[in-house]
Amino acid sequence: MPPAIETHDLTRSFPSGLALDGLTIDVPPGEVLALLGPNGAGKTTTVRLLNGILTPDRGHARVLGLDPTTHGDDLRRRTGVLTEHAGLDERLTARENLTLTGRMRGLDRAWVERRTTDLLERFGMADRADLPVQGTSTGQRKRLALARSLLHDPEVLFLDEPTSGLDPAATRDVIDLIGSLATEHGRTIVLATHFLGEAGRLADRMAVLHRGRLHAFGRPADIAAELWEGLDAHLDVGTPVDAATADALRSATGVSMVVPSPSGAVVRVAERAVVPHLVQLLVERGLAVYGASAHAPTLEDVYFAVEARIAATEGRPATPPPLEVLSTSVPEGVAS
Amino acid sequence: MNWPVMRAVIAKDVIAVRRSKAVVIPMLAVPAILMIVLPLVIGLAARSSGHSDISRILGNVPGDIARPIRELPQKEQLVVLVNGYLLAPLFLIVPLMVSAVLAADAFAGEKERKTLESLLHLPIAARDLFYAKLLTAFIPAMVVSWVGFVCFCVVSNTVAWPVLHRIFVPTPLWLAMILWVAPAVATLGLAVMVRVSARARTSQEANQLGGAVILPLIFLAVGQSSGLLLVPLPIALAIGGVIWIVALVLVQGGAKRFTRDQLAASV
Repeated sequence: MPPAIETHDLTRSFPSGLALDGLTIDVPPGEVLALLGPNGAGKTTTVRLLNGILTPDRGHARVLGLDPTTHGDDLRRRTGVLTEHAGLDERLTARENLTLTGRMRGLDRAWVERRTTDLLERFGMADRADLPVQGTSTGQRKRLALARSLLHDPEVLFLDEPTSGLDPAATRDVIDLIGSLATEHGRTIVLATHFLGEAGRLADRMAVLHRGRLHAFGRPADIAAELWEGLDAHLDVGTPVDAATADALRSATGVSMVVPSPSGAVVRVAERAVVPHLVQLLVERGLAVYGASAHAPTLEDVYFAVEARIAATEGRPATPPPLEVLSTSVPEGVAS
Repeated sequence: MNWPVMRAVIAKDVIAVRRSKAVVIPMLAVPAILMIVLPLVIGLAARSSGHSDISRILGNVPGDIARPIRELPQKEQLVVLVNGYLLAPLFLIVPLMVSAVLAADAFAGEKERKTLESLLHLPIAARDLFYAKLLTAFIPAMVVSWVGFVCFCVVSNTVAWPVLHRIFVPTPLWLAMILWVAPAVATLGLAVMVRVSARARTSQEANQLGGAVILPLIFLAVGQSSGLLLVPLPIALAIGGVIWIVALVLVQGGAKRFTRDQLAASV
């Protein structure tokens, strides 16, 4: 099956500088791609180039088999975009924002009316349908904007910071919805976000951008395999392991690194099968083992490791990741 | 051109403008003052001083205006001079002004309200979007101007009736000016303002930048519009035709240069 999205050497600059530099990626249909990176990384520029509202200086893209530069309107009929700012007209009602968007998309008026009513109910906005958007909360606006992006049942969705400004419950609802769009409805989703938690829950692939350049692309597990060998096992013995126990763990077969943690130790193991041997070792040393689990590095771990690698190449301090990630997941020789 | 889509863009903007007091009040209040209150007050004043000798005033106006007025009975002269000739510039100023205010909002206002990017992500051809935004400003401007003109005619004829006992406006030249020249002048201003609006970041900035172009046009309109009432009808129509050609060339040029990329890069 051809990729839903593919780019080759996609490049765009503005008078202020290079916004995107040689982006080459591909996303199969039905997958979620997380575009990650700090402000100014090129995430929004990527979305604008992929949906054909910006033209590249160099390189090309194909989305759903169409060139966004030459077949922009054909493409935009099949894509939906949630921009970072909800982009709703505050002077219009919630219903008008949706119905007029439908009409501007050239959709049948009666169909749009029915679809609008359905979406407003589905997104919990039915009771505010005929009130002006001015006066609604950030969460309601975001839901409404998301409903608008789904109005025409798009095949590809570009979501720019879909959960910014949402409360935890609304964030969970939006993440669940995005997840179901991809898994149940087979939509391809490009998620540009700062929130690594939501990206971790949703993304099949991740692309880490920094100052317009792609620094890592692929499935989080594949990128992790390039960054680290093995898995991190969390051994819970209630207190940090002493030096002798740490040395014993370190000398066990299949162990490459041991870092004491508040509840025991985090141990880098070659494979899951090593974990039972470590549990046995701890029991033999008279320690009570409350838990032992091995997990692959998360998307968040991978992101911070890539960030650290970028920082090292630029000769600047790395962005401080969460404490646990700092202590266990950054490969040796990478963090500065 | 995709008319249903353009109509939807226009409908969205017109509904939104209608609900914006900051736009509607000046858009209606200023024309109401210029086209209803002013002719009423001036007309009443002129009527009440109808028997005064205005030969000195007529000495200061162009001979082509003064001559037909001198032929009228003395009591009719002042009201015909004021409401029949001297207020003529208003009918070029009002459409120019209203369309300029709305056109300034066309793209700069969308940027300000952070709605432009969502609009650009819709499958609307760039040229359709440009023309729709142009019409969004042009249609209300002409509706306001023409409704104002009807009101002006009613007010002026009513005020002058006790003196004239006949309808004196509109004349064929007035009609040529309001139906043919005024839309051309409005289009000329619009062609400039929509382009300015696409480049500006806020509608205030667009108004400031556009003012540099629109103000000279207003002065030109004021200076020349009374004169239009003195020329034969075919010449007035020909002058309107020339303004239309210039305006349409500017509009076409604007539409050709208008790209999504240009706007998206400025968001």
